Amino acid sequence: MFTYILKRLAIAIPTLLLLIVISFVLMHSAPGGPFTSERELPPQVLANLNAKYGLDDPLWRQIVNYVWGIVSEFDFGPSFVYKDRTVNEIIAQGFPITLTYGLLSFAVAVIVGASLGVAAAMRHNSLLDYAAVGVSIGAQVLPNFVMAPILVLVFTLWLSWLPGGGWQGPEYWIMPVIALSTSFMASIARITRSSMLEVLTSNHIRTARAKGLPERQVILRHALKPAMLPVISYLGPAFVAMITGSVVVDIYFSTGGIGKAFVDSALNRDYAVMMGVTILMGALTIFFNLVVDILYGWIDPKIRY
Amino acid sequence: MSLLQINNLCVTFDGEDGPVHAVNNLSLSIDRGETLGIVGESGSGKSQTAFSIMGLLAPNGRTEGSIRFDGQEILGAKPKVLNKIRAERVAMIFQDPMTSLNPYMRISDQMTEVLTLHQGLSKRDALAESIRMLDAVKIPAARERVRLYPHEFSGGMRQRVMIAMSLLCKPDILIADEPTTALDVTVQAQIMDLLGDLQKDFGMATILITHDLGVVAGFCERVLVMYGGRVMEQGPTEPLFAAPSHPYTCGLLAAVPRVDDADAAMKAIPGNPPNMAAPPEGCPFRPRCRFAAEDCRVMPALTAFAEDRARACQRPVEEVAA
Repeated sequence: MFTYILKRLAIAIPTLLLLIVISFVLMHSAPGGPFTSERELPPQVLANLNAKYGLDDPLWRQIVNYVWGIVSEFDFGPSFVYKDRTVNEIIAQGFPITLTYGLLSFAVAVIVGASLGVAAAMRHNSLLDYAAVGVSIGAQVLPNFVMAPILVLVFTLWLSWLPGGGWQGPEYWIMPVIALSTSFMASIARITRSSMLEVLTSNHIRTARAKGLPERQVILRHALKPAMLPVISYLGPAFVAMITGSVVVDIYFSTGGIGKAFVDSALNRDYAVMMGVTILMGALTIFFNLVVDILYGWIDPKIRY
Repeated sequence: MSLLQINNLCVTFDGEDGPVHAVNNLSLSIDRGETLGIVGESGSGKSQTAFSIMGLLAPNGRTEGSIRFDGQEILGAKPKVLNKIRAERVAMIFQDPMTSLNPYMRISDQMTEVLTLHQGLSKRDALAESIRMLDAVKIPAARERVRLYPHEFSGGMRQRVMIAMSLLCKPDILIADEPTTALDVTVQAQIMDLLGDLQKDFGMATILITHDLGVVAGFCERVLVMYGGRVMEQGPTEPLFAAPSHPYTCGLLAAVPRVDDADAAMKAIPGNPPNMAAPPEGCPFRPRCRFAAEDCRVMPALTAFAEDRARACQRPVEEVAA
């Protein structure tokens, strides 16, 4: 197990390198640059700027220098646009916010979604089941950029219950978390429900019932683990999608997370910030896939690393 | 009073093509310590009868009639009532040992939960008892193996585990639903020997559901032959096998392959089992029966004709042959 994790982490290094190279090349092949503006800079100024940030080097040298900076000093470089800030500072400021509402949304989506799915499966073809399916289909087709303005309209403008934006305390977390988690919650509920229904018809569940276990124990002890396997394989991509979905949340609720910095950097061609956030997302994706695989091994005893 | 008394049990499944009558007017009784064999082809309703006793029918199954266990009506009883009886007093082992154990739980957890639930044992005592029971079903090194997962056992060993698990509470009745069908022939014999020994040691009544007549002959005192969801013939094993009265029983016995006569061809019963969504009028065996006549279009009642024996047939073998 331990060696397996080490191996996976070792494979992560070339994966990240590949990510860096591809993003770097794509980024530089997009037209424009960080110093392109409506009022054209004098050529001498532009040349000086490019020289200062090393943009006049050949691309391969820029990549090597960039990677070397990360490896030797964990330095992701200065922002090209915000002259007094480094990428590390920008990420250090935005990422905790994103992580807070991201993890909260994740927890809400998993707990509410899985409970709803299990409840619906236990009362298969009942009113509760139809209601749960109906709600989750509805919620699944409500993307966060539709949810967010509806929430602001209802809870801020009409009811004045919640602040419409900012990041100053728990009451500011509620709407971002609802906006971000709803569609994932719905997906998880639907996956849980159908997988639970399938598990409940399996022979070992019949054995559990024949043992005289109360239905609650049949579900919790015997059916939940296998029913969660398909959900878990969905969680890795779901988490990453949530972090990326934070762009919308940051814009609607002015939460100040990393999503806003990411979009701004792409629009401003702020190469260093763009790269920094891309690498962060890549590392998170790799990490969560590893967590999912470890969870798989923990649930299914036939999987041993 | 019998330990288990089934009266006029009917099991109907609501299918897309209309109702399927899986069991029709079945009555049987079993006393303490008795061994009863239920024999029949696939789809004859024998497993559904067992599931009705355990309350394990699929959700679309409807039942009528009565199943009384120890004087108490258990057909359609609330889960709470059934859960007190399941495993504690009536236990069941299933056809497919490969999938009947929970693949995600250790054997120890699957076994001890029965004892902690029904007998209120501590985890520790439950584990000790589980190991003792694994020893009883002759699983070598039970103390170590109890920590394993089902996939670390072979099919025969898994069925032994199932048997050990079902006997944990020393039930009054053990229902064995084709316990050896999914196993190798050599393993089949071992499992049946083991079941026979355990039946004698524990003295529980046993209902053995099978299509293997040889197994029934060696194991059961009484036999019930089912076809098309109905009892065709019932009686003590020896006279029933020696002189079968129902043409279907006759056909079944004739179809058993013989090793002592290498030249004999296997005598299969012509035709196919009835489609229970559209069963034939009258006796379900009529379309395949050599002796069938017009009066077979009316289903005869199960009537006694010799000591302890009964049959549901208008044209029993001995009368037609005479």
